[in-house]
Amino acid sequence: MTTKNHSVADIITRNRVWRSIFRQGYPADDENRARAIMNSWFLHIHPVKVKLHSLKLTYTWGLGVISFVLFLILVVTGAWLMFFYVPSVQSAYTDIQNLDTAVTFGALMRSLHRWSAHLMVVVVFLHLCRVFFTGGYKRPREFNWVIGVLLWVVTMLLSFTGYLLPWDQLSYWAITVSTNIVGAFPLIGEALRQLLLGAAEAGPPALVRFYALHIAVLPVVMTILIGIHFWRIRKDGGLSSPSEASENEYGDR
Amino acid sequence: METGKTREPIQEVFPRDPSRTYGLMELVRGTSPMVDKGPEDTVMSWPNLLVLELLAALGTSVVLLLWSAFVKAPLRELANPNVTENPAKAAWYFLSLQELLLHMHPALAGLIIPGLVIVLLMAVPYIDRSKKDVGIWFASKKGRLIAVGSAVYTFIWLLGLVLFDEFVRVRSIVAEPELWPGWVIPIIVVGGLIILLYVVIRRWRPSRREVLIGLFTAFVTTYFTLTIVGIFFRGMGMHLVWPWDLPPGALPF
Ligand code: HEM
Repeated sequence: MTTKNHSVADIITRNRVWRSIFRQGYPADDENRARAIMNSWFLHIHPVKVKLHSLKLTYTWGLGVISFVLFLILVVTGAWLMFFYVPSVQSAYTDIQNLDTAVTFGALMRSLHRWSAHLMVVVVFLHLCRVFFTGGYKRPREFNWVIGVLLWVVTMLLSFTGYLLPWDQLSYWAITVSTNIVGAFPLIGEALRQLLLGAAEAGPPALVRFYALHIAVLPVVMTILIGIHFWRIRKDGGLSSPSEASENEYGDR
Repeated sequence: METGKTREPIQEVFPRDPSRTYGLMELVRGTSPMVDKGPEDTVMSWPNLLVLELLAALGTSVVLLLWSAFVKAPLRELANPNVTENPAKAAWYFLSLQELLLHMHPALAGLIIPGLVIVLLMAVPYIDRSKKDVGIWFASKKGRLIAVGSAVYTFIWLLGLVLFDEFVRVRSIVAEPELWPGWVIPIIVVGGLIILLYVVIRRWRPSRREVLIGLFTAFVTTYFTLTIVGIFFRGMGMHLVWPWDLPPGALPF
């Protein structure tokens, strides 16, 4: 860091403005690479060093990271869709039609949101399978697995609540079929169904409730759960690997 | 105690070091997962991990952009409570539950079975507590064979049951009282098949983890098979058809 050389990287990184933001130099040596991770709000969830084993493609298949990327794509495209969509039975369907035909990039953004949502349900489940089949749930990661199962459920609920919003035949009958299943539960079934729909049948109140769940309640729950999930990965010593194996039945270290 | 000019210089136990960037974050019992691991087992997160994450993000974005540019998200006709869709299907990831619904009481298909699946999934780390084989795909050669065997067993039985209930129909044999086709027969058949699978797996003298691998594989196979059946093989009135004979608009996406 003390040697004087006037590469472009040096000119960009050796001034007060850059240093006030990033605090460290260009990450070309290990000290600056470590600082680049620790000093950044975005990167500090990473450890400074990772096990080589964690980087093996055939171990994780990148499925957890891809799940997160899909979630980010969904948040961005979803916020954008909100500019053009009003959750009322009068306008919902025409808003979507306008997105598809009149709004610049509307069809692309809606398709991105839709396909990312489907893909996320698939990828999160594959990630669950990867963790299961590699034994990644074992101590000390038991609780992160439990959080994971909740993430899987919330992923499906987010997808499900979004499904109603276009208010077309596909949405309407899918929600009718699904909520009828709820209605058939003993004792609480019918009450639960009406709580979800806000009425005896899917109609205006159902659309508003599903919308609130879809754009506010469930994304917040998801964000908190993902936060805990990532934080736990750090606290649990990074990813599982065969080097943690012990003969001790209960895994006491 | 004494205030005044004659104060002794305080001996600093923790001298202030302006270049110090670490702090005490938490106290833990036991050795850390990184103890006894040579430095050759780890690499700097920047750039090794971050490059992979960036690639995952770019890859996911490119795939989705292309997919969304060429395939538009569907939009059917405006929702109409008076025109029932036939078949009326739930979102694809719930079609395995809708399939169960055809064969048993809705409370069993929509509440008890999915509820049990979620609870049992969460219980996995507390059932298999051994650390013997962390980080190894399918635990062992035996685990791999158990997984394959369980998948084949489950798949064949599912096909048999789906076909039986379509062409012979449990309800044409016993329809009354509802308790029989709704609860007793499904519970005996599903429960019996799971117990049979368990008994067969036990003959291999498996570890707990290998038993769970067998059971989890049966769950994944069921979820997958019934989802495929629901998407591609259920037509009018949710009767079995070939995918090329599906009525127009029967695909739930
Ligand atoms: C929104 C959904 C999810 C996101 C964004 C997510 C993200 C991640 C990421 C980035 C990792 C790091 C390793 C990797 O990429 O595989 C990870 C690990 C892990 N995930 Fe998830 N995950 C999600 C859902 C789940 C689910 C459904 C489960 C299981 C039920 C789960 C259980 C775990 C466990 C136990 C680990 C540690 C694995 C190990 O140490 O080998 N996660 N997750």
